[in-house]
Amino acid sequence: MSITVAEPQVVVDLIDSSQAPLLARPYYQGSDPGPIVAALAHVPEVLEVAMPFISALYGPSALPVRLKEIVVVRTSAHLECRYCIESHSVVALDAGFSCSEILGLRDLDDTVRERWSSDEAGEPALMEWIDAVAGATGSVSKDSAGRMREYFSDAEIVELTLLIGATMMLNRFCTALGLPSSNGTLERLRAEDLL
Amino acid sequence: MTQVAEAIASGALPGRLWMYSNYHCNLACSYCLTESAPKVAKRELPAELLLSLAREAKELGFTSVGITGGEPFLLPHLPDTIERLAEILPVIVLTNGTLFTKERLQRVQRFAGKPVALQISLDSPDAVVNDTMRGPHNFRKVIEAIPALVERGVQVRIATTMEEMDESDMVRLCALHRELGVPDEDHIVRPIVRRGRAVDSAMGVEAQAADLPPELTISADGAFWSPFGPTVHSGALDTDLLVSRTTSPLQRPAGILLRLVQGRPPGEDSKLGIK
Ligand code: SF4
Repeated sequence: MSITVAEPQVVVDLIDSSQAPLLARPYYQGSDPGPIVAALAHVPEVLEVAMPFISALYGPSALPVRLKEIVVVRTSAHLECRYCIESHSVVALDAGFSCSEILGLRDLDDTVRERWSSDEAGEPALMEWIDAVAGATGSVSKDSAGRMREYFSDAEIVELTLLIGATMMLNRFCTALGLPSSNGTLERLRAEDLL
Repeated sequence: MTQVAEAIASGALPGRLWMYSNYHCNLACSYCLTESAPKVAKRELPAELLLSLAREAKELGFTSVGITGGEPFLLPHLPDTIERLAEILPVIVLTNGTLFTKERLQRVQRFAGKPVALQISLDSPDAVVNDTMRGPHNFRKVIEAIPALVERGVQVRIATTMEEMDESDMVRLCALHRELGVPDEDHIVRPIVRRGRAVDSAMGVEAQAADLPPELTISADGAFWSPFGPTVHSGALDTDLLVSRTTSPLQRPAGILLRLVQGRPPGEDSKLGIK
């Protein structure tokens, strides 16, 4: 499945290293910090608390990276966030997902979960949970919650659910501000036929 | 004693809080840090905000406030506001000194004997040289205003901003400021800093945070490391010396500035590999 959401139009100036505010400078050291940091740098006191939060959720933690990328790619597909789908498709490739798995995560058809083949029995339950949390509003199905509890501990459910919520927040942030994917990301996706 | 007060008492933080009252100016000097001119956006800090920031500054342990711009005296409320600020903390106001009409002189006369100093720019003992940088008739207006203020008992400091000046010119300039009634200790000479319009003409010296004292500075755009922070180039605010967008409570930017002065942990948490 190709990404069909609109081309981004960047809404705010992305702050480059020469204009990086004092609190933001550590994030610019050595490399391009990416557009989320470059946008958040406009409000450095928010950046300095947002980045550790983002890092705690998206960086290494007790959860396997595979579960995290299932959450991020599928949630981003629900919210049609081009930037997050593109950037996390690359992260997912690096984490060992196959192209067909990535395309499956982006495909919101219910039958994808039934066709999902993985050694990890909890993954379809997680996908169902993501679909219930990110793909709908209002209360979340007790059946989906029950299936999550079959496979995941309370701590894992909390972290996975917060990750869905944080991804939804970032999806809307990135989409509203039209944050652009890097050329490197686009080239990689083109090479893998994932654009 | 607050941590900020301790830092000020120990000399780790300068004791003056700077506030950009506005960005517009009746002049458009060639080296202006803020690209000020008559028609730029005013970006004022309202009088009540100036006063409440000064009150917060006093509570935190700051020992004086500075008002700069733009040209602060373009704001009609300024003389009253300065008088009220001086009841809170000693005040220094940076002004180009060209707006001291008879009526305004009367309004500022009440600063006499109060902890208020007006710092007026005068860049050369030669009218032509001075006016080349600062605009027509600037020299005449300033050398008329200074003695008029001094006669009324208002404390005046003279600030000379320059790239280079030969010794004989400096001797003449010092003779001039003494003649105008301003003693040597109230004459400040400082380099042009290469920000704002000075970038376009490649004037002055480059200055990074490490080159500038950490003087907390509030403008309509946020809190900055120094009064050389909230500068404008090509119409865009410089953010490299931005401390925070939050300015109130003042404790927030003051605390961040103190943390920056004392060093902070590196942003290792940014290495997520996402571009
Ligand atoms: S340097 Fe001062 S007097 Fe000159 S334009 Fe800028 S604000 Fe106005």
